[in-house]
Amino acid sequence: MNSSTPLAVRLVDIWKRFPGVIANAGATLSVTEGTIHAVLGENGAGKSTLMNVLAGMYRPDAGEIQVKGEPCWFQSPADALSAGIGMVHQEFRLVPSFTVAENVVLGTAERILRRSSIETDVGNLAHEFGLSIDPSRPVWQLSMGERQRVEILKTLYRNAQILILDEPTAVLTPKEADELGTTLREMAKTGRSIIFISHKLHEVKEFCDEATVLRDGKTVAASLLVKDTETVELAGLMVGSSPATTNRPVPQTRGEPLLSISGLRILDDRFLPAVQDLSLDVYSGEIVGIAGVSGNGQRELAQAIAGLRSMTSGTVTINGENLTNALPVDRSKAGLGYVPEDRLGVGLAPRLNVIENAILRNYRNLRQGPLLAEEQMITYCEDIVDRFGVRTGPLAEPIAGLSGGNLQRLLVGRELSGNLKVLVAAQPTRGLDVKGVKAIQDLLVAERSRGVAILLISEDLDELLTLSDRLLVMHEGKILGEFDPETAKRHDIGAAMAGEVAT
Amino acid sequence: MGRLILVRREKILRGGQPLAFLIGLTIAMTIGILLLAISGHDPFAVYERMVEASVGSPKAWSITLNRAVPLGLAGLAVAVAGSMGLWNIGAEGQILAGAIMAAWVARIGEGWPSPILITVMLLAAVAGGALLGLGPAVARAQIGVNEIITTLMLNEVALRLLQWLIHGPWKDPESRGFPLAPILPEEARLPGLFQRAHWGAIIALLVIALFGLVASKTAWGYELRVAGSSGATALYAGISLKKKILTVLVLSGGIAGLAGGIELSGNSDRIVEGISAGYGFAGIIVAALALLRPSGVAAVALLFGAVQVGGLSIQTMGVSSSVSTILQALILFGAIGAGVFSRYSIKRVSKEKMDVK
Amino acid sequence: MTEASMIGLLSATVSFGALLYLAALGELISEKAGILNLGVEGMMAIGAVTGFMVALETENPWLALIVAMIVGALFALIHGLFTVVLGAEQVVSGLSLTILGLGLSAFIGKNAVGRPPGAVLAPVDWGPLSDIPWVGPILLSQSPLIYFAILAGIGTSFFLSRTSFGLALRGAGESASTVDTAGHSVLRLRLGAVAAGGALAGASGAYLTLSLTPQWTEGVTAGRGWIAVALVIFGAWRPGRAAIGALLFGGLLALKTRLQTFGVDISPILLSMIPYLLTIGVLIVISIRARHQPSAAPAALGQAYRREER
Repeated sequence: MNSSTPLAVRLVDIWKRFPGVIANAGATLSVTEGTIHAVLGENGAGKSTLMNVLAGMYRPDAGEIQVKGEPCWFQSPADALSAGIGMVHQEFRLVPSFTVAENVVLGTAERILRRSSIETDVGNLAHEFGLSIDPSRPVWQLSMGERQRVEILKTLYRNAQILILDEPTAVLTPKEADELGTTLREMAKTGRSIIFISHKLHEVKEFCDEATVLRDGKTVAASLLVKDTETVELAGLMVGSSPATTNRPVPQTRGEPLLSISGLRILDDRFLPAVQDLSLDVYSGEIVGIAGVSGNGQRELAQAIAGLRSMTSGTVTINGENLTNALPVDRSKAGLGYVPEDRLGVGLAPRLNVIENAILRNYRNLRQGPLLAEEQMITYCEDIVDRFGVRTGPLAEPIAGLSGGNLQRLLVGRELSGNLKVLVAAQPTRGLDVKGVKAIQDLLVAERSRGVAILLISEDLDELLTLSDRLLVMHEGKILGEFDPETAKRHDIGAAMAGEVAT
Repeated sequence: MGRLILVRREKILRGGQPLAFLIGLTIAMTIGILLLAISGHDPFAVYERMVEASVGSPKAWSITLNRAVPLGLAGLAVAVAGSMGLWNIGAEGQILAGAIMAAWVARIGEGWPSPILITVMLLAAVAGGALLGLGPAVARAQIGVNEIITTLMLNEVALRLLQWLIHGPWKDPESRGFPLAPILPEEARLPGLFQRAHWGAIIALLVIALFGLVASKTAWGYELRVAGSSGATALYAGISLKKKILTVLVLSGGIAGLAGGIELSGNSDRIVEGISAGYGFAGIIVAALALLRPSGVAAVALLFGAVQVGGLSIQTMGVSSSVSTILQALILFGAIGAGVFSRYSIKRVSKEKMDVK
Repeated sequence: MTEASMIGLLSATVSFGALLYLAALGELISEKAGILNLGVEGMMAIGAVTGFMVALETENPWLALIVAMIVGALFALIHGLFTVVLGAEQVVSGLSLTILGLGLSAFIGKNAVGRPPGAVLAPVDWGPLSDIPWVGPILLSQSPLIYFAILAGIGTSFFLSRTSFGLALRGAGESASTVDTAGHSVLRLRLGAVAAGGALAGASGAYLTLSLTPQWTEGVTAGRGWIAVALVIFGAWRPGRAAIGALLFGGLLALKTRLQTFGVDISPILLSMIPYLLTIGVLIVISIRARHQPSAAPAALGQAYRREER
């Protein structure tokens, strides 16, 4: 770091606790003016919390914030804004029913709003930074990429000198991500400082100047010069000294096809096509990985197989049974297990206790007449808890107190119990600590050796390359390529994820 | 100078809710004392009379018990819907619908043996309330129409229906022009229990206990709790949300309807406009204070019954019976306020210094 | 039907319409900010008793109106304290506010029952203009509160759609976290909206006891607060449409007592069900349309907001 260049932001020894979690435990960050600064770390490393502290959303329990050398004390996002700090959150903070222009001027407008004049202003600003967008359109009609442009416009309109982007590329296609990179470079040239949160190392390599790495809420490496640092070194810093990685499972011959999908078409929540004419087979004893930028139909695909989303055409066959229009229960009876992406919202009932959650898929068999058989319930639950090493308090306590890893063990354990033939696992290791990731991955591999057909949907390419027997890439609802994880080149997979079919 | 902010406690205070309830009660009583004193009454004499009239003798208890019956059933109705995160604000109208149906049975069932007549009346009351709950239930389950508003609107519709009946088709020809329905036959009256108390108390208690049992012990109740915890999880477990919404809102309406039937058969000599003295709305407060638990509903209903009976008794002292209405609302506000502090603590934040907790 | 009875009907339509509209506007502002306040009936009762009592004491109807509005706002802030600050369930708190308001107003007004009013808001004297056929008796012989209602409607509409505070207030009802991030205080916006709602409900209540039926009786509001809640939905959360609804519902109220004069053989009681049934119908249409576009209802209506929640 060049000591003569002034610092835009300095965060010193920030602590932030939430009930049950310490999100920041002495994190530090120094951002040089006019640079793009990457903040790296695994899920749960405390990146978002630290940024929310800087943006005035959270009050730190301890620590100091300095902006341009001045100590600051933010009570609210408004304070941070007036200090010139703007943040683009991972979940967009937009009012869907408002127009682009209304969203941009929200909080800054003159007392009286003149629609045409704010639309002109916003249009000009967008043009100036090469962000193409129609200021008069309501936000609910926009794509994710367009919405992000609105978010960036908001900070530009406020003339924010320090811009925080929280995993901005998670919802973008690689092409959109490149365009974002160009925009950010433009903005840095005008003297703005950009904090770029990511766990995608190639992006950091491509357009960041410096990088700070967080792990377990602490800063483990501060302001590394990106061009002098190897990607492998950054990865090592993120994961820690001894990352427990699962070895590639031993190859085995696959058996019968247990999950067959053909000609599947599915609409998303906005009634737009999410999956288009998709066909695939998963055989007994293999793990088929699905890679892709999030939002390319993976979520809808998993939901449709589980019976939670209706499809407009196509068939789904599980273990030889045509279950295209079957209820989730009947699919479960046919041997389907499902690990949903949204664990607490879909997979578990947060207000109920461990026993009640453990029996969720099997309570129909634990009855005595209309009553639930309490002793059988407890036995059933204890069995899952023991076999899958779920660490819980009293079983009759609500699961809300369990850690993320234990919640996932409970959920996965429950899905693996019973007569399992096919498992659909969506982001099964997301947000877990290293140990938790390993435990879940080992369970998947074990099921594979038992002959279960596993469809693994993940955003973590390394996980897919390690675990999969075959790797499919989804783009805009279609499968754009099949790869052999042993031999495939990352570059080719990346190209397929971007929609460029490898020839 | 710092600011005060609420910070979520890491663990909910144990026993916080019952404590909150007691604090709420205390706050309400204190404000009541102030109000009474300001308006020139002797607060303690008024309170003494209220206690005397509501629980001071077997007869007082019997009146309180009668009052607690519709409150408890209305509270249970709200709690049943609440167990799935739905709000039935329509208990008031469903009580009226239940009373109307029961009154109709009493009209056509002249000469039936009393046990049969009463049974049919009460079943009809359940059907009446359920019918009023059915519309909002279907609209909510099929189209996602907000049940708060539909049930609220139907209260007014049911009230108008009742008014129309007693001003028109059901007007007693012998009432000399007054809009009064004819007096119920003796066979249509619920038998007595002790003093003024009637069998309604037993029925209400049975219904409340039965629902409590069903909710906690049966597979159906389990499904209900899963659905109440997370709708998506219920779908995933193969529980039909639509069916659950439908059954729960209809059941809720039926329970409120039963309250109307019991009120007519047990407490009123004829169907009148004011047959529900705001029981439906009070039921919402009862359910909220009971945290939607059936056992809590019974207890809070008894307390509110006592407060209401006490309120009626102080009119002879020249004090407005509205004191009891005020107390009921204040108990809830006090309890909500106190309840917040079992989940949150107050922390002062200052600019100068940050303290590590 | 004579011309005089027709004029009488239209004139009553306007005055009932204004009564409903004032309270509905208040509820609309509150709901636009995301706070459902089912305490309208209670706030109106408080406004009604306050207005009447102050008029008795001071014989100044304008002072009575202003005090009723201030007290209405303060009373509404009880709901604000519990729902906005403490995050309590809005339905429960609002209904309790209604119960508290009805109880308190009965308690306060106990000795005023049956007393003649201390002062009334006399119709505005428009001079010779009042003699214009139809327009004169229908619009220009009315209580000043109907002009207040019209101005309040225009003002609310302008405020919500053309001012930055209005934009922020609507934002608080659509997505509170967005407004918070944009640097507005959701707390203040929502408390302000709730207080404004209380002030307008207070004005509506005072209109009852200072102008429409200038006397105090327990339960004088007679369920009109619920019609006001219905009006907000009937008007799809728009001040302009709510005005049309207010005239429609006001017309039904006015018609109720006149049906027999007009020789129509429908029970006036059945007629008074119409507003509620219509509102349910409109809500169903709104809900069906909400499948393909954002609902007309504020998206965050009924949801508490607390920033540091995770």
